[in-house]
Amino acid sequence: MSYTPTDLRRSAPVADSGGPPPSRWRIPRAVGWVLWAAISVLGAYSVWVLTEGGKTVNSMWMVVASVCIYLIGYRFYASFLAAKVMALDNRRATPAERLRDGHDFEPTNKWIVFGQHFAAIAGPGPLVGPTLAAQFGYLPGALWIMVGAVLGGAVQDFVILFCSLRRDGKSLGQMAREEIGKVGGFVALITVMLMMIIILAVVGLVVVNALKGSPWGTFTIFATMPIAIIMGLYLRYARPGKVLECSAIGFVLALAAIFGGQAIATSSYAPWFTYSGVALAVALIVYGFLASALPMWLLLAPRGYLSTFIKLGVVLLLGVGVIVVHPQMQMPAFTRFVDGTGPIFAGKIFPFCFITIACGAVSGFHSLISSGTTPKLMARERDATATGYGSMLLESFVAIMALIAACSLPTGVFFAVNSPAGVVGATPAAATATISNWGFPVDAAQMQTLADGVGEKTLFYRTGGAPSLALGMAQIFSSFIRGNQAVLAFWYHFAIMFEALFILTIMDTGTRVGRFMLQDLLGSVWPKLGHTNWKPGMLGTSAVVVAAWGYFLYQGVVDPLGGINSLWPLFGIANQLLAAVALCVATTVLVKMYRARYMWITCVPLAWLTVVCFTAGWQKIFDSAPALGFLAQADALSKGPQTSATAALIFNARLDAGVTAVFMILVAIILVDSIRVWTGILSGNRKATSTETPFVLTRLPEEA
Amino acid sequence: MRNFFRFVMALLRELGDENAYQRHLAAHGVLHSPAEWRRFCDAHWLAQSRRGRCC
Repeated sequence: MSYTPTDLRRSAPVADSGGPPPSRWRIPRAVGWVLWAAISVLGAYSVWVLTEGGKTVNSMWMVVASVCIYLIGYRFYASFLAAKVMALDNRRATPAERLRDGHDFEPTNKWIVFGQHFAAIAGPGPLVGPTLAAQFGYLPGALWIMVGAVLGGAVQDFVILFCSLRRDGKSLGQMAREEIGKVGGFVALITVMLMMIIILAVVGLVVVNALKGSPWGTFTIFATMPIAIIMGLYLRYARPGKVLECSAIGFVLALAAIFGGQAIATSSYAPWFTYSGVALAVALIVYGFLASALPMWLLLAPRGYLSTFIKLGVVLLLGVGVIVVHPQMQMPAFTRFVDGTGPIFAGKIFPFCFITIACGAVSGFHSLISSGTTPKLMARERDATATGYGSMLLESFVAIMALIAACSLPTGVFFAVNSPAGVVGATPAAATATISNWGFPVDAAQMQTLADGVGEKTLFYRTGGAPSLALGMAQIFSSFIRGNQAVLAFWYHFAIMFEALFILTIMDTGTRVGRFMLQDLLGSVWPKLGHTNWKPGMLGTSAVVVAAWGYFLYQGVVDPLGGINSLWPLFGIANQLLAAVALCVATTVLVKMYRARYMWITCVPLAWLTVVCFTAGWQKIFDSAPALGFLAQADALSKGPQTSATAALIFNARLDAGVTAVFMILVAIILVDSIRVWTGILSGNRKATSTETPFVLTRLPEEA
Repeated sequence: MRNFFRFVMALLRELGDENAYQRHLAAHGVLHSPAEWRRFCDAHWLAQSRRGRCC
């Protein structure tokens, strides 16, 4: 079977929606039940081992537990959603077929759509979030990732994809406006914009913390910019259309940049590439502005291709590496920090474990992808199960891999890398003493040996999750592909390059998206500002967006508690609240489809996210502990010694409290608005006006 | 194995927009040329840049 562009358009077996898809060979029913019973028992036993295993547990049990849970979720829950709740119908022509234009709308092979969708939803979140949440131990994060994905995240992605499929591929904001009302639509738009700003700041902070004081890493990342420009020129003028060829060249050059970084780090040029956090933050801000204003073909598009291919390759390599190496988990199932005194971020296991791991369990951002490109490519409705539900499970599995990579590090090393100096002490001796006193032995010599092994001056205070994840990944890769210490150093910097590369891609595309959103908003006030080709408007709105995330990034860099303590929970709250908005839209659609008896499908995760986010938001604003509550932090700072930086820190803490409050108010508005619509319809006081497009019979041929 | 390799290549071509370009040529009934590629890229990437990438 070949997959030419013509074949990719084939699809749509014209079959009813009830039975299973046609296949040449089927497992007898009895054998099937025995198989599923065995998978259930194996999954339950693996979870039991994880809860009982303590320090002796092998990571393979986590892999087996998660795979069994995903298989059961996909086979039974996703099938139930597809057949009973959404009644997916392969006879119905999709927007890709009805609105086919050769550009955005095009019926495409389902596995290609799956790959495209997965590449779009997989970002740094499922890698970094579980790494940070490992401060509670491996078990809380693992259980939340597995259960949250099956019952929450995958449901959200799947239902929103279905809603968009039945509405000409409309976006979440458009659906919120049409299904809930104008207020809902406006609130969704503002929530997305604010969330984008926080996301860009927090991922920027992850890059800054990974590169600060690291000439090897900094050189490698700096080198990717001229490499991208070379790729852009090659693709534009030398070999137009040869994207794969160009990306292969870019990949080889990126590998060469890693070796070049090693040479630089040991040469007299090392100081040229050794920067403080503030300097790197300023560099990122300038980069963000330039990337947003430069022609896309020159930097952004070629780097986007390179980043996507490397991302998929590394995810695959990590999965294979974890399965082959299956390291022992060094982290206990629970740590003492479940009480809220953790060094990486403050807050108890509830609600902060569920906020810290957003992508990988439930991510509101996915709803933007599920109502973006994906529904415009799907040839058959029933493909939505694999694409919407299945790809979220795969992303969840990536989060499990990241958790394993982080938890396979010695626990003392994990905390030494991830804890800020303001919490554990400003010298290596003080930090190791503090961490050892917590019951996680580590010493300065061990940390220095490790730093030498990966070609870094120090690995202390490298907050943000990326360095510890890179360490864990490097250990797995170097065990998988056997080699000496130089191999470990290469893999560490390869992992840093991989994380930084696609974080930078998110930053430049995110800045553009934010700029377009702002121009759309301002265009309703002054139409000229809405013209995306008008240079002053373009530069002005780019500057506003960059300044907004740049400010939060700067405040994170100068934060004595490491920045992640305040920004990551803010990002988690924003992301989960966006998921709440998406689930409000999904519930409204179900009610209007006269499927109110299945409302619990979306209402259960919605209720959970609302409780988690509002509890976390309330604690982040009003908790009396300065490490946790923004207002308490501002008060504590105002009572302490006043320096030139204190006033800024007080302002930042109050600003963070204000942003959290705005998120909560916006989502409360959309929640109340949605409940008003649901109760109106259910009580018969309001007409259930559906915006679903009328049924059109597919004319696509049956797939061979 | 051959089918798997073909699938992987098709996925890479889709992710790399090479298939989208082929569809563009077919939809407009034109042949590949550097100028046509640049025309496609400018429109395609502008549309892409309006869509966020996930965190």
